[in-house]
Amino acid sequence: MTVGQRASMLELLPPLNDHNLPWMDTIHPIVVHFVIAMALITFVFDLAGVVLRKPQLFEVSFWNLLFATAAIFVAIIFGQVEAGLALPYGAAREILNIHSTIGWSLAGILSLMTAWRYVIRNRDSQQIPLSFLGAGGVLSLLVLIQIYLGDQLIWTYGLHTVKVVSAIREGIV
Amino acid sequence: MEAILSAIPTDSPIDQIAGSLGANGLPYSLPIHPNLVHLTIGLFVIAIAFDIAGALYPLEKRVFRFLALPVTRSGFHDVGWYNLLACCVVTFFTVAAGFYEMLLAVPLPGVTSTFGLESMVTMLWHGVGGVLLLLVIVAMTVWRGFQRFLWRKDLGRQVQWLYLLVGLAMFLALGLHGTLGAQLAAEFGVHIAADQLLAAGADLHTALP
Repeated sequence: MTVGQRASMLELLPPLNDHNLPWMDTIHPIVVHFVIAMALITFVFDLAGVVLRKPQLFEVSFWNLLFATAAIFVAIIFGQVEAGLALPYGAAREILNIHSTIGWSLAGILSLMTAWRYVIRNRDSQQIPLSFLGAGGVLSLLVLIQIYLGDQLIWTYGLHTVKVVSAIREGIV
Repeated sequence: MEAILSAIPTDSPIDQIAGSLGANGLPYSLPIHPNLVHLTIGLFVIAIAFDIAGALYPLEKRVFRFLALPVTRSGFHDVGWYNLLACCVVTFFTVAAGFYEMLLAVPLPGVTSTFGLESMVTMLWHGVGGVLLLLVIVAMTVWRGFQRFLWRKDLGRQVQWLYLLVGLAMFLALGLHGTLGAQLAAEFGVHIAADQLLAAGADLHTALP
């Protein structure tokens, strides 16, 4: 793709502000509230349901899982747009690549787990197989890694912050 | 008054521990408060959303039957209760971590936010607001508990309309409050290593990992 073509594609977006965004501030970190909180709490409530012998909690974790799955696709849409405008530099480029790869993978994993859970719930809503609990543990671990990478992009490299964006525009970074 | 103010030494108390802080102004590499915020906001919003779904259940029944998704009204209200309970517990830590990290905050000088506020005013609003929001969350959890276990124990709709209305008002308050927090990071550069290093005149390509 030539520079000219890229420039004409960017014209489709509203003008970019001092965060290098067409909207007030980053939306991706807001949408991920619902992926992070719902995915992690699903595992917590599943675990609590097993330990406390309280199958009522399995219903709560099911709905949270469903919501995490719905939310991750919205998070990816905004994530992709904002990643495309992030102007990553240095090691932030590679971190952003890994963050994107894990993000898409999580969408697949969450969808599969939701489908699996739907079947489990239809057969017997009072029990959770150990294998699903294990999958929930792996999911939580992946989410934590993903948070760590996203955190680095913001808190270490300052992507989309006014200071970094202006430094990049001035050619300092 | 002028004379008294000028008699106060200008070095910040943060200088006393500056040696043990990283480029981001914290003794660890990534701030904790913004991560706990994910849990507070996510759990609160979904709690209220599911109580609304439970309250409007008679309208939704057919949709769920069409989707072949077995649903119970009490299940929705269970999400409303347990998510709020979890939110209530987590938010004490969210506010505690927020205060610790705000004590160590060094906002970039000379910045005015999108709201037209300077850093100190933004931090004061965000700090005091955070405590007030915690108070409301605790009060709503107690209120929700009374509805679930006493007042509306035998009713299909487990929550009062007023409760849902207060919940929706809290969405607005949380959104506004969160925006102030986001401005502290993305505009005032608080605890963002790159922003702080740039302000100190460092070269990011050599100063960052």
